[in-house]
Amino acid sequence: MDVFFEQYFDLDIMRDNFGYVLDGFWLTVQLALVSGVLSMIWGLVLALVRAAPGRAMLPLRGLAITYIDVLRGIPLLLVILLIDGSLPVLDFVPMWLRAPDFLGKPEIFWYGVMAISLTYGAYYAEVYRAGLDAVPYGQMEAARSLGMSYPKAMRYVIVPQAIGKVIPPMLNDFIALMKDTSLVGAIALVEVVKAGREIQAENFNSSALTLGAIMFIVVTIPMARLVDRLIARQQLAMRQVAPQ
Amino acid sequence: METRSQPEQTSVPAGEGPMLHLDGVHKSFGDLHVLRGIDMSVDRGNVVCVIGPSGSGKSTLLRCINMLEPPEAGRIFLEGKEITGAGKGNVDYVRRRVGMVFQQFNLFPHMTAGRNVSIAQRKVLDRPKEEADAKSRALLERVGLQDKLFEYPDRLSGGQQQRVAIARALAMDPHVMLFDEVTSALDPELVKEVLDVMRELASEGMTMVVVTHEMGFARDVADRVVFMDDGAVVETGDARQLIDNPREERTKRFLGLVLEH
Repeated sequence: MDVFFEQYFDLDIMRDNFGYVLDGFWLTVQLALVSGVLSMIWGLVLALVRAAPGRAMLPLRGLAITYIDVLRGIPLLLVILLIDGSLPVLDFVPMWLRAPDFLGKPEIFWYGVMAISLTYGAYYAEVYRAGLDAVPYGQMEAARSLGMSYPKAMRYVIVPQAIGKVIPPMLNDFIALMKDTSLVGAIALVEVVKAGREIQAENFNSSALTLGAIMFIVVTIPMARLVDRLIARQQLAMRQVAPQ
Repeated sequence: METRSQPEQTSVPAGEGPMLHLDGVHKSFGDLHVLRGIDMSVDRGNVVCVIGPSGSGKSTLLRCINMLEPPEAGRIFLEGKEITGAGKGNVDYVRRRVGMVFQQFNLFPHMTAGRNVSIAQRKVLDRPKEEADAKSRALLERVGLQDKLFEYPDRLSGGQQQRVAIARALAMDPHVMLFDEVTSALDPELVKEVLDVMRELASEGMTMVVVTHEMGFARDVADRVVFMDDGAVVETGDARQLIDNPREERTKRFLGLVLEH
């Protein structure tokens, strides 16, 4: 058993490399936050296009559905490699997108953000769709009967209610997104998992990776508990409202 | 209650002809022919109650009038202007003049009662916040809910919610109000408070089309009653006369069933 603890819980290695692993984790958090926000916005756009009524919107609806299906159907790692490998040489793409350097972050950070947002936008679109479907049709009718146009009814009446209903599943997806940021390590961005691997390779010891896992858990477990609590609160509210 | 200001409808110029006129209105859902040629007229300031068995097309009729369900054939005139046929402007024209109250209230659950009443004033009529808020307060007072301004719908009883819904529709200064079985989802003891608000509205001269199963209300308040069955108007007449002495056999049978208990 000693060898087990030595391999995974060598406190000296953890202590010596704490700063390096923490730097990696900080990058993970930044990746997750930026991509999380962008995915949620992009997902809402996709869901609204997909829900838009009328014959005129048919081609756009088809496009949105295809996009969502495709991006949910291919691995995130593959998307990351596709962007990182060839986006820099696509000469028709504007420079700010080809070699982004916002907020003083390197381009590979932004390639990671792009890949995660494009992929998770598709997942979030499905979550929003469930939320939009859960708003009773009478809400739209009431809004329209008051003279609101379809976009106004969506903006003031439908979407706010839909978002309220899907906050728990959105947080769940955010936990998954945060873990998936480790895939960006494949393109030489030293996030927490890659940092741990480097130390593992140097020392023939996995304790730095364990440290990374602990850092994840410190953040993800409270989020998971928060999701549970939100769901419980929603169910309670539903039970109170249901009977007239 | 006596000190309430006169509704704005009285200041609207009388205009020519009936407020609302329907001419051979048809509506189908797939194979289901819900409205089979409805002719109907509603004069300014009149209250018309539409009665009939469930599935007779009463609710669909109201939804055609405010273009939630555009009819397939026939013509509808609102204050003399035809609202059926092509033209996106028609929907705006209708919705700015016609208020609707639903069986299931359909209040916006994420907004307080006050915001329910003010939101469309702000976002559709572009009223300044102070004006919209003042109007919301006045309307909630008018339906007896001045103390519920900041309550959310799930904290209100069904009757209170329905009165907020009436205030919300009135906030748009409609020329006609449509009521779609607005007391059917209410506990019996809450029906009266909603009907009282509607009575008062009628006495103030609001033009109203009321789909209802409340025969007492129809008899007392309505100027005219329309009896519908199977997507058609079977009988139209003076409210008391039609309810007390119906001419048609189908009307007699229906009234016999609903007045029995």
